Amino acid sequence: MIRGISIIYGIYLLLPIALLIVGSFGSTWTNTLLPSGTTARWYVELWVDPSFRKAFVASLTVAVSACVINTIIAVPLAYALYHRAGQRGSIAARLVSAMPVAVPTITLGFGYIIVFNTDYAPWLGTLPLLIAAHAVHTLPYLTNTLLTDLRHLALDRLEAAAATLGASPWQQFIGIVVPNLRQSLISGLVMVAAISVGEFGLSNLLTSFQNRTYPVVLLQAFYGATGFACAATVILLLLACASAFISSSVIKKS
Amino acid sequence: MSLLLDHITYTYPGTTHGLHDVSLRVDTGELVAVIGPSGSGKSTLLKLVAGLETGHTGSILLNGENVAGKPMHQRNIGMVFQQYALFPHLSVVDNVAYGLKLRKVPLNERQNRARDLLALTGLAEYAERSISRLSGGQQQRVALARALAIDPLALLLDEPLAALDASIRGHLRDQIRTIQKRFNATTLLVTHDQEEALTMADKVAVLKDGRLLQFSTPEEIYRAPANKAVAEFVGLSTILPATVIARDLIDAGFARLATATGHRQVGQSVFALIRPENIVPTPSSDATNRISGHIGTQRYLGSIYRYDFLADGAALPLLVESHQIAGNAIALPPEHITLLDS
Repeated sequence: MIRGISIIYGIYLLLPIALLIVGSFGSTWTNTLLPSGTTARWYVELWVDPSFRKAFVASLTVAVSACVINTIIAVPLAYALYHRAGQRGSIAARLVSAMPVAVPTITLGFGYIIVFNTDYAPWLGTLPLLIAAHAVHTLPYLTNTLLTDLRHLALDRLEAAAATLGASPWQQFIGIVVPNLRQSLISGLVMVAAISVGEFGLSNLLTSFQNRTYPVVLLQAFYGATGFACAATVILLLLACASAFISSSVIKKS
Repeated sequence: MSLLLDHITYTYPGTTHGLHDVSLRVDTGELVAVIGPSGSGKSTLLKLVAGLETGHTGSILLNGENVAGKPMHQRNIGMVFQQYALFPHLSVVDNVAYGLKLRKVPLNERQNRARDLLALTGLAEYAERSISRLSGGQQQRVALARALAIDPLALLLDEPLAALDASIRGHLRDQIRTIQKRFNATTLLVTHDQEEALTMADKVAVLKDGRLLQFSTPEEIYRAPANKAVAEFVGLSTILPATVIARDLIDAGFARLATATGHRQVGQSVFALIRPENIVPTPSSDATNRISGHIGTQRYLGSIYRYDFLADGAALPLLVESHQIAGNAIALPPEHITLLDS
């Protein structure tokens, strides 16, 4: 029973990926089960296409910036939530941190369009706004990863031990808390990067033509040759796989 | 270096639990054990000294200086926690050297000092290891080395052996005591294990419900407990309710017993404390306080037997420890019956 479900799940997950890879190397593919001919030209075309290269760079910029912003915000936030657990402040903070997960990105996106399309804040379509939106959207994932690790570590005891040895609260945070959160910070950031790289809804609503992200440009590829669309998707998949690989190898090391 | 607790009162916010007017003194190089049942306030006492809890009245004087209002990290107190609380991201030697690093001791010097301390605790070859690869006993020794590395004004041990197997507890107990003496560390030990307290401490403080019941040497705590609560908590015993019926004579219901009644008046209710090892299992026929009865539950402990003796007409069994099991009579030597006021 469980085996059967696993096999069906595996087929539905892996078959489309396999077809994408096959399709990306096929020269023509129309109305047949498999493409005919073998070629690498779709990848070459992708490489020379300035809009894809630009989108790739834009996606990386947004993802890396979201990671940096999230690190600066999430580590202190998770630490504060851990220490104030059970208090009223914690419920409010929890709500704020969990909301982007519960609220559909399209809702968030429309909200931004309304707010940032005014004369007071005419930032719709700018890269900083897109980065901010991605940071807000991914923050709870990182915060929750860190929070789980904080609880698991029983950090209050380590902090007390450090304090008796002469560590000020700041030295405890830098010398004890942050190093012990390193592993979960890295794996959390890989998740943030993966979500940001693959995010479509929010980016599609908020980007201008100048700084479209990779998934947004990818959509255009679907209106052209099938092989080209497949190759473009495979690149996105590689990005995601690289993130997953880094994440799992970090966890293994720890 | 001394630690003086002077009329400490502390209540946990919103409760009546805490400490009520506790005073005790730990002199230089002394080890004072604080014992008591759970909820007695012994851990609270330690937390107040360390600065983990604040807001008490009375004063805590460390080397003559009041530490109230001083944050934890400025008190210079070494603490060993029940769950070790070693830093998982640092090696053994770096754990020990952590406090020295905070004190800006140069790298070489602090590494050498940390290694010396590890050698002293028998862990020299584990210096480079990760904490997770040490046993519980080894981790606790690292924790002790780490606490001593900073040359603390006082050393606090919070149930240091409670998380360990009984088999290594005895050995580690001796080792901690040896190292503590060698460093002449002014030490406060909190434990629920009375055997640990009696074997390790120079003085023992017995707490119950946040009050200090008695503070004296282990021998005195055992031989002359201040009241019934101390007697019940420290050591095994039989405590019989009785009444003074004449000078140096009490009535325990099932028998009249000769013992020194001191200043007590005739008619006064008392408790008679009898330690199991002091009961004579094979008394001569004319022995004082000879009591007849029969044997109840027996336990063989290897070196001795511990068993209940059910005296004729008695409601409570008398606990006896001896090399040989008694027959149908025992004797309670008058000098070994301690009277406690009820």
